[in-house]
Amino acid sequence: MTIALHVDNLTAGLGELEILKGVDLEVPFGEIHALMGPNGSGKSTLCHVLMGKDEYYANGSAHVAGTQVIGMPVDERARAGLFESFQYPVEIAGVALGELVAEMREVADDPNEFDKRVARQAEALGMDRFMDRPVNMGLSGGEKKRSEMFQLAIAQPKVAILDEIDSGLDIDAVREVAELVESLRSPDMGVLIITHYSRILRYMKPDRIHIMLSGRIVRSGGPEIAEELEASGYDDIRRQVVAAEADGSAGAVT
Amino acid sequence: MFPLDRSTFDRAQSVRPQWRQPSRSAAFDVFEKLSMPDPKEEAWRYVDLDFDLADYSVPADAGDRVDRPDVIRNALGTTAGVAMVRNGVTTIESSTADVVFARLADAGPEHGTLILDAIPSDLDIFSAAHHAFGTDGVLLSVDRPISEPFFIDIEASTPGSVSFPRVAMTVADNASASVVLNCRSPHDTDLVVVPQIEAELGDGARLEVTILQNWGYQTKAIGQSRVVVGRDATIRISEVGLGADLSRLHLTVDLEGRGSSSEILGVYFGERDQTLDYRYFMNHIGQNTSSEMFLKGAVEDEALSVFTGMIRIEKDAQRTNAHQTNRNLILSDGAAAQSVPNLEILANDVRCGHGSTMGPLDPEHRYYLMSRGLDRERADRLQVRGFFEEVIARLPRQEITEPLRDWFNTKFVTAQAEGRVQ
Ligand SMILES: Nc1ncnc2c1ncn2[C@@H]1O[C@H](COP(=O)(O)OP(=O)(O)OP(=O)(O)O)[C@@H](O)[C@H]1O
Ligand SMILES: [Mg+2]
Repeated sequence: MTIALHVDNLTAGLGELEILKGVDLEVPFGEIHALMGPNGSGKSTLCHVLMGKDEYYANGSAHVAGTQVIGMPVDERARAGLFESFQYPVEIAGVALGELVAEMREVADDPNEFDKRVARQAEALGMDRFMDRPVNMGLSGGEKKRSEMFQLAIAQPKVAILDEIDSGLDIDAVREVAELVESLRSPDMGVLIITHYSRILRYMKPDRIHIMLSGRIVRSGGPEIAEELEASGYDDIRRQVVAAEADGSAGAVT
Repeated sequence: MFPLDRSTFDRAQSVRPQWRQPSRSAAFDVFEKLSMPDPKEEAWRYVDLDFDLADYSVPADAGDRVDRPDVIRNALGTTAGVAMVRNGVTTIESSTADVVFARLADAGPEHGTLILDAIPSDLDIFSAAHHAFGTDGVLLSVDRPISEPFFIDIEASTPGSVSFPRVAMTVADNASASVVLNCRSPHDTDLVVVPQIEAELGDGARLEVTILQNWGYQTKAIGQSRVVVGRDATIRISEVGLGADLSRLHLTVDLEGRGSSSEILGVYFGERDQTLDYRYFMNHIGQNTSSEMFLKGAVEDEALSVFTGMIRIEKDAQRTNAHQTNRNLILSDGAAAQSVPNLEILANDVRCGHGSTMGPLDPEHRYYLMSRGLDRERADRLQVRGFFEEVIARLPRQEITEPLRDWFNTKFVTAQAEGRVQ
């Protein structure tokens, strides 16, 4: 059986700057994984490289439901089943959310099913009043994330990557977003959420947590990792990695 | 056809009412002294005037109707009046009781104050020629609020012709009017038009003027416009620039009355080797006046757009609010936009702002839209639509905006299909 997202020895960067230094990651269908790591460790870069942002070079492989997406244009990756919820969703003046949704319908596999999802999710997420407003313009942090979640739900991807889905949100909004993600959990999708805070993990049950340091996933494990992090920050992990490398044992500590 | 010379001028004088003749004579004297603008002149610096007015002649008659569908007129629905100025000759098709909506050629001395001659003859050779050789146009005078639009087709059709259409509007105290000017000519005909549009607004008056610049691709249109605004009155002028080989619009708004305001909107799309040249002067003369200029345009292939905006705030115009914004989308390497916002502030208690931008489609927006599954062409079309929509959504007569969206969209789709945009 294929897994939702399978990243294998992915290296990527900008010109001379290597940011991802060999990322390995597996997210099975039906699971929610969390990716954590300090600022600048490469989490957003991983999202963009998976989605195909063209300023980055990339080597290695990333399979989305069995399709190798590295090298594909962005829209083909989306149609292969990948969805990225942005850390900073852009504001697009003059383009109503409803217009974007109409364009998404044009490229949907089954427009009728798509319409049903739009109706259902607009109702569930209270999005109707945003349909005539320009995409993300003037929306609060929480509303932007809700709009991203709405688009995720109607796109019905095989793999959803949510970059900093909880940053800039108040406690209630964090819970709301977490519950939304849980409610979208499905045997047909794998989810990778990126977060700085274990707070959001109180409201959802990630199956696994991965820690990224300097462009590599250095540790993967169950929810207990978040608690460790909460207690001692990234320093302990950093020390363990340095020690392990000194031992000559290359690769991640698991 | 009649060349731009003394005998043609005498001919024009002979059809004019006597009371108009002396001032026209003066205009002809100015015309004789002027030559084509020197490209080194500041006012013409970005524009390549590759024609000589002397090569064009005044058409003998109204000529043929321009064979293009009446999209705008049909979209407007009920109107307060309909007129046609073709090759400078006016026909009034319908009007409303108790307004003056008439041929300028028929205007008697009692209408003398309605013809403003607000644009000086010595502005340039085009204005001088307009005043010397133009004999007809539309006179509109309204003294109550009228909500239905007046629709005026301004056409030119005879090859090699130069015509001088004119629209003179006065809106009395507390009256209001909305006017739509639809400018068209055949795409395959080389001709020149020099339209002049002038308006005077009384105290508390409101006037909306929507200009659809849809000239044919070989037309050179040198438009001149001036509006004088009374106390607490509001002028809204919108220009939609779609056609012409060269289209220039020299617009001056004088906010004379205390509390008067002005909203100038512009949206344009330059294709092929078109030049679209906007020269806008906003004069704040009275206290507490406010103005906004908001123009957005795209250029592709080898098109050029020019925006020169001047906000001048006189010494006594305290508590003035004035803003100008010009945004340009450069869609091809060979296309260019010039944007020159200027401020001249003589008062001290004012709020002023200006900004201009130019650049290609935003790659971050493209990435976001493509990440939602839209192919690049589709994503770019949506982005371009949004770019124009910011202005189109603010245009006064929303009933005509659907065809405008289509036209803008079609221009971009064509450029995409022909591989002219990056
Ligand atoms: N477009 C870019 N231009 C320059 N540097 C970049 C770019 N994208 C990423 N980087 C660099 O790559 C590194 C990783 O950045 P990235 O945004 O992926 O980190 P992150 O883990 O998402 O951090 P944060 O938690 O702050 O969001 C940083 O040092 C960043 O400065
Ligand atoms: Mg980040």
